[in-house]
Amino acid sequence: MTGWHLDDDILRRYVERTDSLAEGASVEQHLLSCEPCRARVSTAAVGVIDFAAVWDRTRDAVEVPRPSVFERLLRAAGLPAHEARLVAVASAFRSAWLVGVITILAFAALAAGIGQARGMWLFLAVAPVVPCLVVASSYDPWLDPALEPELVTPYPALRLILLRTIAVLAIALPAVVLFGLVVPGRAPFAFLLPAVGFVAVVLAASTWVSPLRAAVVVSVVWLAVIWQLATRSGPPGEVLQAWAQAGFTVLAVASFVIFLVRRRRLRQVRPWR
Amino acid sequence: MDSRPGDETLLLAVAERDMGAFRTLYERHAGWLAIRLARRCNDRDLVADAIQDTFVAVWQKPQGFRGDGDIGAWLWGIAIRRLVSRLRTRSRVAAVFENTEAAPAAEDQVLLSVEYGDIGQALARLSPEMRAVIQAVVLDGLSAKEAAQLLDVPVSTVKTRLHRAKGRLRAVLAEGPS
Amino acid sequence: MPTASITLRDVGRTFGATQALADVGLDLKPGITGLLGPNGAGKTTLLRLLATALPPTRGRLSVLGLDPEVPAERTGIRRQLGYLPQEIGFPRGFTAFAFVDYIALLKEWTQPAARHAEVRRVLGLVGLADLGSKRIRAMSGGQRRRVALAQALLGSPAVLILDEPTTGVDPEQRVTLRAVLAELARTSVVVLSTHQTEDVAALCERVIVLDRGRVRYDGPVTDLVRQAAGRVWLADEPDPEASVSWRTGTGRYRNVGPRVRNGAEHVEPSLEDAYLLLRGGSPDHEPREEVAS
Repeated sequence: MTGWHLDDDILRRYVERTDSLAEGASVEQHLLSCEPCRARVSTAAVGVIDFAAVWDRTRDAVEVPRPSVFERLLRAAGLPAHEARLVAVASAFRSAWLVGVITILAFAALAAGIGQARGMWLFLAVAPVVPCLVVASSYDPWLDPALEPELVTPYPALRLILLRTIAVLAIALPAVVLFGLVVPGRAPFAFLLPAVGFVAVVLAASTWVSPLRAAVVVSVVWLAVIWQLATRSGPPGEVLQAWAQAGFTVLAVASFVIFLVRRRRLRQVRPWR
Repeated sequence: MDSRPGDETLLLAVAERDMGAFRTLYERHAGWLAIRLARRCNDRDLVADAIQDTFVAVWQKPQGFRGDGDIGAWLWGIAIRRLVSRLRTRSRVAAVFENTEAAPAAEDQVLLSVEYGDIGQALARLSPEMRAVIQAVVLDGLSAKEAAQLLDVPVSTVKTRLHRAKGRLRAVLAEGPS
Repeated sequence: MPTASITLRDVGRTFGATQALADVGLDLKPGITGLLGPNGAGKTTLLRLLATALPPTRGRLSVLGLDPEVPAERTGIRRQLGYLPQEIGFPRGFTAFAFVDYIALLKEWTQPAARHAEVRRVLGLVGLADLGSKRIRAMSGGQRRRVALAQALLGSPAVLILDEPTTGVDPEQRVTLRAVLAELARTSVVVLSTHQTEDVAALCERVIVLDRGRVRYDGPVTDLVRQAAGRVWLADEPDPEASVSWRTGTGRYRNVGPRVRNGAEHVEPSLEDAYLLLRGGSPDHEPREEVAS
């Protein structure tokens, strides 16, 4: 490191760009390793760009959370920006959760596609409970633990839960139908009513117990039912007959009514840790 | 050196997500980086965007600086590439700014010869286009492709000019001092 | 602008068979009020009631002149309310900024520019201005507590309810906290709960002592301290006449007792003495209760 540093003339020529290529190159090479001269150049740099404004934009770029894919989808669907963010922040939209869920469904559909009746039963066991599990995860306090401060904010809790539920269903239900197409035989839409029914049951049950607990119970019960039917009777399609569909519809409507009636009690459920 | 924190200390703090250290880095370096970028591109908005991108990149990967060499070189490497990136996405041409070359005063000419020897004069006798290529490729260390984006010319042109510039330099130097 | 206030009349709260609060009557005005009491005294329950997180099972509550039983008015209260619960589980992967920003969204800060500025402001108040981008999971316990406090401070609420805000907070930060709360308390009702009498002494003008769900004392801190005047003395051994005795750092014993002790080496009472006296014994003109250990 020599004792050579920028003097005022060289600095002025550099900043005003009246120097030669050689001189400029020499200055720039020097600056790469000389802090005091860099400081002098920085001082002379006032006005080159609006440094304060660029700082603000830079700070925002690193500090303000970026919208996720789901958030952008929700905005595209018409939700105002701040509400889209509120809805999208739910646990159900954390990529890990959704990836896991899609994997399960895909596996089940595959099993149904290649296997025979067994595969069908597998799909029948899994597909209708996936939506209620994902809905539960979107507002269960164990997975979405900021519960207590959320409790006392002015934003209506019910609206948030319903929006999140709808958003989850908007992804989960088409996924169920899509994968259902791979399954031979039964129309994929037949899985929808049970799925919706279970979601309604979970919503209603969450006015008594935590949503995730309710969803797990529903899933286990359904699995048990399917298991029983699978080991006993023959064709899986039976479960989705008209009378079953009607039953699921009644279940869905009744549960939803209960949910609305008891909605005040929703957030008073103690967080289950 | 005074009691201000060193750049490496600041980078460590940035890795720990310290916004104060990040701001200090910005205040220390944004100025000279902006001037240096403005010497290659006369579009101030692009320069501002490139500065922003540079510091965002520093925030995202402060450990990219491995302590070998000076932080200035590392920062400049990021900055010039961000500028090139921005130019790539800009539809309108941002002309590369050329030094307005006033005829060097007598004493400066002496200075040039003394400081830089014949190279300085040899470079001064190249055409502006050739000087731009030399600056981009040789001095800034850009690849031919990056230089092409910066100068807004095809890659083949960059290579041709570089080849010719080197040839001219050799010829001028071979001539000896005038 | 009407003065902020909270009023409770005959408020009680039961959970199944347990009576957590009974016959609570309070009038809270702007200023900092401390809530003291042992575990299980009902402090958290009372705070939850004040924060409209829980309805009372008996009695009436009025916050800022509004009735929390009426949904529209409850929302009105919540618009001017900040609440720091005893425990917050932070969602995974959130930075301090992202979390406070999320709560700000729930508090109806819809405009991004104003919201971000407010988030930065409250993070600055708790000394975390430069750590907004740090993941909460990567923070120390004290820092997390400060993030939780920051969300309560959003919007400079007229009612600020803090459950154990000084947990894990070091003495320097307590000084900053005091300054922040004092500023807010000029126009807002601030209620904070704590186990530590030093916190009340440092932060509060007024104190409410809760014991087994009932209010044992409600008034200025200075008056409570005065109740112990002449009732605190030092001795070389624990005094059997005292309600409470303990060994101090100097090796002597500090004694607190309801009967004024003549000839003993009296010392200036602290709030802790007065609190222990209140809990373990009683002033002269009331029947003496069991001696505490």
